[in-house]
Amino acid sequence: MAAIVEGTGLTKRFGTGDATVLAVDAIDVRIEESELVMIMGDSGCGKTTLISLLGCILTPDDGELRIDGEPIDPVSEDLSVIRREKIGFVFQLFHLLPYLTALENVMVAMDIASTKTDEAESRATELLTQVGLADRLHHRPAQLSGGEKQRVSFARALANRPKIIFADEPTANLDSRQSDNLMSLIQELRREYQTTIAIVTHHEGLKENADRVIQMKDGRIVTT
Amino acid sequence: MKTLFLKDMRYRQARVVLTALGITVLVSLILLLGGIMNGMRIQARQYVESTGADVWISAEGSGGAFIGFSMVVEEYMAFLNSAQGLTPDSASPLVFAQARPTVRGKSTKAIVVGYKLGQLGGPKSVVDGKMFTPSNFEDYRPEDPVPYEVVVDEKMGLEIGEQITLGNEKVRVVGKAKSLMFVLDTPLLFMDVRIAQKILLGNTPHVNMMIAKTSENEQPVQAAAGLDALETIEARTLKQTLGDIIAYYVDEPMKAVQFLRVMLWLAAGILVGMITYVTMLEKTQEIGVLKAIGAANSYVMGLLLKQVVLISGVGVVLGLILAYIFAAAAPIFVAIHLVESVIVACISFVVCCGSGYLAARKAITVDPMIAFRGEI
Repeated sequence: MAAIVEGTGLTKRFGTGDATVLAVDAIDVRIEESELVMIMGDSGCGKTTLISLLGCILTPDDGELRIDGEPIDPVSEDLSVIRREKIGFVFQLFHLLPYLTALENVMVAMDIASTKTDEAESRATELLTQVGLADRLHHRPAQLSGGEKQRVSFARALANRPKIIFADEPTANLDSRQSDNLMSLIQELRREYQTTIAIVTHHEGLKENADRVIQMKDGRIVTT
Repeated sequence: MKTLFLKDMRYRQARVVLTALGITVLVSLILLLGGIMNGMRIQARQYVESTGADVWISAEGSGGAFIGFSMVVEEYMAFLNSAQGLTPDSASPLVFAQARPTVRGKSTKAIVVGYKLGQLGGPKSVVDGKMFTPSNFEDYRPEDPVPYEVVVDEKMGLEIGEQITLGNEKVRVVGKAKSLMFVLDTPLLFMDVRIAQKILLGNTPHVNMMIAKTSENEQPVQAAAGLDALETIEARTLKQTLGDIIAYYVDEPMKAVQFLRVMLWLAAGILVGMITYVTMLEKTQEIGVLKAIGAANSYVMGLLLKQVVLISGVGVVLGLILAYIFAAAAPIFVAIHLVESVIVACISFVVCCGSGYLAARKAITVDPMIAFRGEI
């Protein structure tokens, strides 16, 4: 299978001098097309830093990164272009814009990518219907439950047909029933859209849904 | 999603409305202060220009007519009436003095203009009533019975036949002149020069200034220069006199107001910059999320700038409207010029947008990593 994301020797340090923290230590990682990968480990082991590097939010201090086979040069390239064209993000706290409806929150991602409004509305409606929110299109985040907000968040991540979705603790703020429902939805979306998904989680019970688990400790991958 | 910035503004409507109102008040104040100064300039000119005089003669060392203390002896009249460069017999004596007449029991401000009826210095006709009874200026004797009559500015609201008190004398209103307010809406009271001398100058045979017309082929500058060469008088042209008056009555006292206007512009800029910056701090998480999901800096900057432009634009337009409303209702003469309004509006808009732009530039430096922490 082709690698959607491939990092070699990825290293990230924070701070300077004696206060330097090595968050990600020369990691080699490869995530293949249509794979569902769980990235697990204790708090502070570097999981979120790793997906931030792979998702072109952070730039590595050392190492190389390829997305969809293309090498990424963080110095000369506008990483926002890669983020909006190839990557989708789902955040632990949903991060929906409070003044927009569910439909508009999904449309924003496409607006950023300069998609025409009609086309964006049609796709956003389709995605929200797919995640079971056809009757919640015009509800604001404050009118939605945690599970519903996370569904909107997934619909937004899928809006620009990304090569890969990075989800940071997507079930952390959901109860067990909502978590199970969300994982079922993620499996369904993955089948439907053939999207590669990497999920950072503490939730051991989610392991069974993964094709592969990357276990991290102290900024390094210990098992994969 | 062209209305994304509008939806955000509606969500934060209290802050948006307050910012726009702040700009509105500041812009209207800037315009009103300018309008007050314009009004003072117009009023400073209108009486002087209405006299039709080309040359203004005051006492040596007075700094010009209307400026310093000036007492000129009447004997100069005969000299001026035959002076080279002046129209023969055009010279007119003028008493121009601030006074506190009592009108309907209330002390009020006014300027007494004593002049020789039929000569330069006062209205040729009245809009209501009649002109005051003139004295025989050249052959005047203090015991001659000249009636204490006054022609008042029509805007004083006095009725014909009403009496006002000037000094210790009762003066009867006989006519109303077309309004020619002096600086800061000070009304003019026109009366015979001899009555003005009696009431305000202790009945001395002096006047504050003399005015005259130049002869047909004479340039006022040359005529004034010729008279100015005399050691006991100063002579100014109309243009110089207007310059003196505007500098003395408007520009000098209004320097602080000019400074205040610049400060108000600065305040408007700081207001928009600060509020945009504070709003940006509140929206840091939101901006971080937008950047994390792929928004380019230009997209975020566009959102913020559209808001800044709209708030500044609305604030400036409302400021213009408010300034014109206040100007119409102001208790003093306020003249807001259209061109000045446009200039003030443009400068205010640029200042507000400029400071908003600086705050927005800071906003786009938000690290998208912030999306992984905290709540919106």
